[in-house]
Amino acid sequence: MTKVAVEQDRVAGTVAPSLTLPRRPGRRNGKTVREALAGWLFLTPNMLLLCLFVLVPLVWTVVISFQETNGFGVGEYVGVANYERLLGDPLFWRSTANTLLFTIIVTPLSMVLGLGAAVLFNSILPARGVFRSILIIPMAISGVATALIGVLVFNENNGILDNLIRFIGLPSVNWQSGGFAAFVSVVLVTLWWRVGFNMLIYLAGLQSIGPELYEAAELDGAGFWVRFRNVTVPLLGPSSFFLLILNVIYSFQVFDIVFVMTGGGPQNATSVLVTYAYDTGFVTRDQGYAAAIGVVLLLVTFIFTAVRWRTSRSRDLVE
Amino acid sequence: MDFSRRHFLIGSGAVSLPLLLSGCGFAPQQSTSTATGSKTLTFTTWGTDAELASFARAIASFEEANAGTKIELNSVPYGQMFTNIDAQLQAGNPPDIFRVPYYTFGSYAGRDQLLDLSPYLESGFSDRFTDAAWAAVQGNDKPFGVPHHTDTSVILYNKAILELAGITSVPTSLDSAWTWDELSEVAATLRAAQPAEAYPMAYNWQGNGVTRWLSLLFQADGRFLDTNLTDPAIDSAAGLAALEFSSSFFTKNFVPPNNTIKSATFASDTWYSQTSAMVWSGAFAIPDATNTLDFEWGATFAPRGKRGGGDFGGNALVATAGTANPELAAAFLDFVTGGTQMRDFCETASLLPTRKDLSESGIAFDVRPELAPIFLSQASTVRAKDSSQVASPDMSRIITVLQDNLESAFAGSTSTADTLKSIAEGIAQTTGNS
Repeated sequence: MTKVAVEQDRVAGTVAPSLTLPRRPGRRNGKTVREALAGWLFLTPNMLLLCLFVLVPLVWTVVISFQETNGFGVGEYVGVANYERLLGDPLFWRSTANTLLFTIIVTPLSMVLGLGAAVLFNSILPARGVFRSILIIPMAISGVATALIGVLVFNENNGILDNLIRFIGLPSVNWQSGGFAAFVSVVLVTLWWRVGFNMLIYLAGLQSIGPELYEAAELDGAGFWVRFRNVTVPLLGPSSFFLLILNVIYSFQVFDIVFVMTGGGPQNATSVLVTYAYDTGFVTRDQGYAAAIGVVLLLVTFIFTAVRWRTSRSRDLVE
Repeated sequence: MDFSRRHFLIGSGAVSLPLLLSGCGFAPQQSTSTATGSKTLTFTTWGTDAELASFARAIASFEEANAGTKIELNSVPYGQMFTNIDAQLQAGNPPDIFRVPYYTFGSYAGRDQLLDLSPYLESGFSDRFTDAAWAAVQGNDKPFGVPHHTDTSVILYNKAILELAGITSVPTSLDSAWTWDELSEVAATLRAAQPAEAYPMAYNWQGNGVTRWLSLLFQADGRFLDTNLTDPAIDSAAGLAALEFSSSFFTKNFVPPNNTIKSATFASDTWYSQTSAMVWSGAFAIPDATNTLDFEWGATFAPRGKRGGGDFGGNALVATAGTANPELAAAFLDFVTGGTQMRDFCETASLLPTRKDLSESGIAFDVRPELAPIFLSQASTVRAKDSSQVASPDMSRIITVLQDNLESAFAGSTSTADTLKSIAEGIAQTTGNS
């Protein structure tokens, strides 16, 4: 039985009794206690930081979302008024729709392009190390710097792209003043930033697939696409699951690229939930309402992750 | 005792944690009156190199004149300034003094975060400032700060492009400034003389600079808040005139389509790249423009509507309500708005004074000193009834209302009448008078 099958059985709750570990006879000896203690000691700094910088702010955000507060002094509890306000706020719905659209477009494209690049760079390609580095470089740059480069490229007055488009005699594209084009520019810069990371994870996944599987498939007469579909893709399941969750979370949380490149404009065409929450919390100082937007974002992300976790059959798949 | 790698790591962590936290701007601020009588104030600001150097000189002079006092200057990037200040105020450990734009001032003054300076300032203190400047630091008729400097927008122009279009002279006095119609004629001439991808001008109303649109409203002799600063007053003939005039910049192709309120491309960048022939700009841009541009440029006055007018830009200095040394904080604010200190700051940083005497006698910028009189004259068109509106406690929300609605109007999605109505409703909601 392969590890894959064992893992699948475990997930399905049908682990055979013979596979359970035997209980240790007698009381725990000193070594076990010391090991457990060492384990907890290693975990403690991370747990403390996680509590301090993630859990405490998270709980506090939920508390604030039930208040009307400008950030100074004690807020006034208003029950679910902030959430009721969300229902009738057209900008909230516009931002939600933009966020979902952004996620739906960017997540599969990042993964497909990342997988394509990984397959290419995993093959015999001259100077593949150089190409890998070029694709990974954006990962080393901050989102803000990436977005600033995006502004230089997509500036519709004198940006590199429109200059090129004009040079070949085509009409320039209104990347900044047109809603659709602005959205496309944000998507393209995000892809440039994110494909390298997707490629890296897929590359690691590809290199853990044994060549004998491909050889066996080849002997059975499988061509490239059949091998790709029936060997590569299934065995990259854990990588795909990891990337899907991460890409969706990153997409829901997109902020820096939108904030720098478009500021949510033109006319809110690129406004997403996090930029809307930021503007509400730190520009108009309506922090209770901003917290409510944040909580909605958290819930959507949480629900997606939970559903995907429950429905994914290949998240723990290993060879 | 052996000094192992583990000890080293633990020690390093313990030492670096406070440094990391202070790097985030969250180290507890100290305001101390020690047993020895020495007094320390903390002062948080952002600034250009010239501004910070001038602050440092003012602090050194103050410490020399007041033995035993110490002012700790904490300079932070502008982008982090107010999220840090807000966090520190919420946590109860703000600096004693900080710098704040006039349009943000009301958010703090109106929410009891700032020190009412009335008990600590000598009578007649306000006489040193212009009426417009003093009005900009009032909250409920009490001073909650000092107007440290101001700035306002004039028109910078590319000499070669104007000459190519046949425009060989520009107004040289406030009285002869272009009227709105004359500016439109100049823009139309430039439009006809330039290729399609070049534009006559660019307006500096991006981001929080949306308050610079108010220049046009004030030139039309309009208001956005009534005299009580509680009700909207923008849905008026003056509001309509200002909005129609500014919208015409887009319909007549006087400005690039991306010169909108929420654009990531600032007007100055459009002008720097010679995509536009003229740009609305404050004096603060002079050093950068002088260092950066390789074309000849000059400055002329903003246009006149019913009257001359301009936005009241710049920053105040404020003390926080919880400062342990209110007298010392007030004394420092008094000192930095003295004639010598203000002249030094404004001349080196290319900003405009708020003192009456300096506004009247004039200053000379270190860079392009011949431009200072143009900016000073333009600043004289700002009236107290204009600047006092910007000090509204609801200004932060009003800015958002202006941004959303002007963006929509300039894109042609909303008619001017509907835009004014929507702005008025938005202001009424923010001031609680809907």
